[in-house]
Amino acid sequence: MKVLAPISSYDELEMLAESGAEELYCGVVPREWLDRYTGAVWLNRRSPKGGSLETLSELRQLVDGAHRLGVPVFLTLNAPYYTAEQMSWVMELARRLDGEAGVDALIVTDINLLMQLSQAKLNAALHVSSVAATLNTEAIRFLLQFGPSRVILPRSLTVLEIEKIVDAVRDEVEIEVFMLNDGCAFEEGFCSTTHHHTVGAFCTNLSEMDADFERSGGRELTRRQNSRLRRNLTDYREWIWYVNGNGCGSTPNGLPYGPCGLCAIHDFKRIGVASLKIVGREASPFKKLASVRMVRAIVDQARAGAEKLVTIERAKSLRGDREHCDSGYMCYYKVDA
Amino acid sequence: MDWSIHVSNAAEIRGALNAFEQGASERESKVAPVVELAWRLIEEYFDAVRFTRCAYGNEFCEHLIPSPQRLEEALTAASERDIKLTFLTPYVSEAGIESLRPLFETLSENGDGEVVFNDWGVLNLLRREFPRLKPVQGRLMNKSLRDPRVTGVYAASDAPAPALVSLRRSNLDCASYTGFLSGLGVDSVEVDNLPQGVDLGFAGGGVKAIAYLPFGFISTSRICMAAGIHYDKRDKFQPGAPCHHECQTHLLEYAYTNTPFGNRDQKFYLKGNSYFYVHTEAMLRVLFEQARSGLIDRMVFQPRLPMMWERG
Repeated sequence: MKVLAPISSYDELEMLAESGAEELYCGVVPREWLDRYTGAVWLNRRSPKGGSLETLSELRQLVDGAHRLGVPVFLTLNAPYYTAEQMSWVMELARRLDGEAGVDALIVTDINLLMQLSQAKLNAALHVSSVAATLNTEAIRFLLQFGPSRVILPRSLTVLEIEKIVDAVRDEVEIEVFMLNDGCAFEEGFCSTTHHHTVGAFCTNLSEMDADFERSGGRELTRRQNSRLRRNLTDYREWIWYVNGNGCGSTPNGLPYGPCGLCAIHDFKRIGVASLKIVGREASPFKKLASVRMVRAIVDQARAGAEKLVTIERAKSLRGDREHCDSGYMCYYKVDA
Repeated sequence: MDWSIHVSNAAEIRGALNAFEQGASERESKVAPVVELAWRLIEEYFDAVRFTRCAYGNEFCEHLIPSPQRLEEALTAASERDIKLTFLTPYVSEAGIESLRPLFETLSENGDGEVVFNDWGVLNLLRREFPRLKPVQGRLMNKSLRDPRVTGVYAASDAPAPALVSLRRSNLDCASYTGFLSGLGVDSVEVDNLPQGVDLGFAGGGVKAIAYLPFGFISTSRICMAAGIHYDKRDKFQPGAPCHHECQTHLLEYAYTNTPFGNRDQKFYLKGNSYFYVHTEAMLRVLFEQARSGLIDRMVFQPRLPMMWERG
């Protein structure tokens, strides 16, 4: 079970690897793309100015450096779809990412791109992005025809559901799961909205809008019904705040708050999950560093054979303040101790 | 062009298959005006349409998958009325796949029915175990941006042509993809009428387009606000949590009061685990012009937000 960290610059490489990152992923958005499509159309699942490298030479430097440290680098080409015009361009980019930059895997959402890459016979492996919304074993079996070496499961799956999937496909494909930072209120692969800076994420945007309940059929709600629904809406908005990284907050010593799966690491090791993903290519170097250290601390404990309860206790104590853990809203996964 | 209507149950199939009758119980609803607008414009463009097909099931939530008994009742009613039935399915977990299997058995025994898939796993199951059933790609598999907060603004502004072209299309733009679908026996795909306009150019290449109206989906989630009502605060909003169909009791209307663009009158609707936008008159007119020009093979009219469920 590897620790997978985001990276957006060669300058971050040494600190992330030394702190325990065993795999890295990044994005690249060449200027040509920006010039043609502007910031309205994203090449990967991050804003063009939000955490992607800009040139292949930068990427080559990063990949070479990572390989010297024995760390593979995966690259996101995970827009939900590409049009015909874009597909030609993306395939050419993929060939250069493979041949010139030497990335170890391409992370892909669009099944059409996955199909074309599988036919192109590149050296780079193929990883199916969480945005492809593979929520069940049947979906993974369908995608196996394109030869992916790894499938990244959406963050909405439970530990039990993940275990069933891993059990079913463990001999055919690796499974990666979300571990830290950045939630999504929706099923990412079925969310048709943008995070464009002019409007922000739809889920957080909704929390600031006027909202009005209506009883089915247009009938009026009783005061009690309305009050109950309002209270639930308030709770939901609090949950959204947690999903959004506790308002993008951190502890006084810089450890990130926000969606977290640390308590499930012991289970994931037992289940046979291949990789634990830390989210946040766009995050500051310090947040990336702190995130890797947090995950690695629990992974090392699990690898050393610590009991599950011990790893959970350690996970909950890392940030010092347990209030947010105890809210129940910061967890990717509910874990039975 | 065929017309289909989304029904809740067998009784509706037996009743007057008429958009107004179907939506009668919700005529006071916040979404009723757009249903009435759509129906008025349908009459303006197409005179009196006759529904020759009904859509039954749910595209968005595995907790709203009907029971085998209810499906059988719907199939019987459709057969008696001599109309075709399309079965809608959502994205699913392992449990959802298991819920669908007996329904596909029922459909398969009944003939060569049509099933809309919104999950590759569902398509895989259909192809392997139920080859008689005809798969149709659902609108959730179409990944075009549908963010009504901004896409209408993009369309109305001086957005660069390549960006706007891209936003109006999807991977259906690629012959490799439509060819792939054809190879899987999928010759029809569902689309939403997009706020920025939808390019149906692919429809000339052997794949038929099916369009929904008058609601488009924005987003959907395994984590349902409505299902949280009965839980203690700490246990709310968990994926895979048991559901008591709380979504059937109410909807939530959001007003885009915090827009940076001036489209403050825009509304979004949450029903259960899914958000929807409503079509404007301009959007409906564009869609109907596309239909008149032969780009659309079927329209699916939804007289209420498509989150119905029937106990049983």
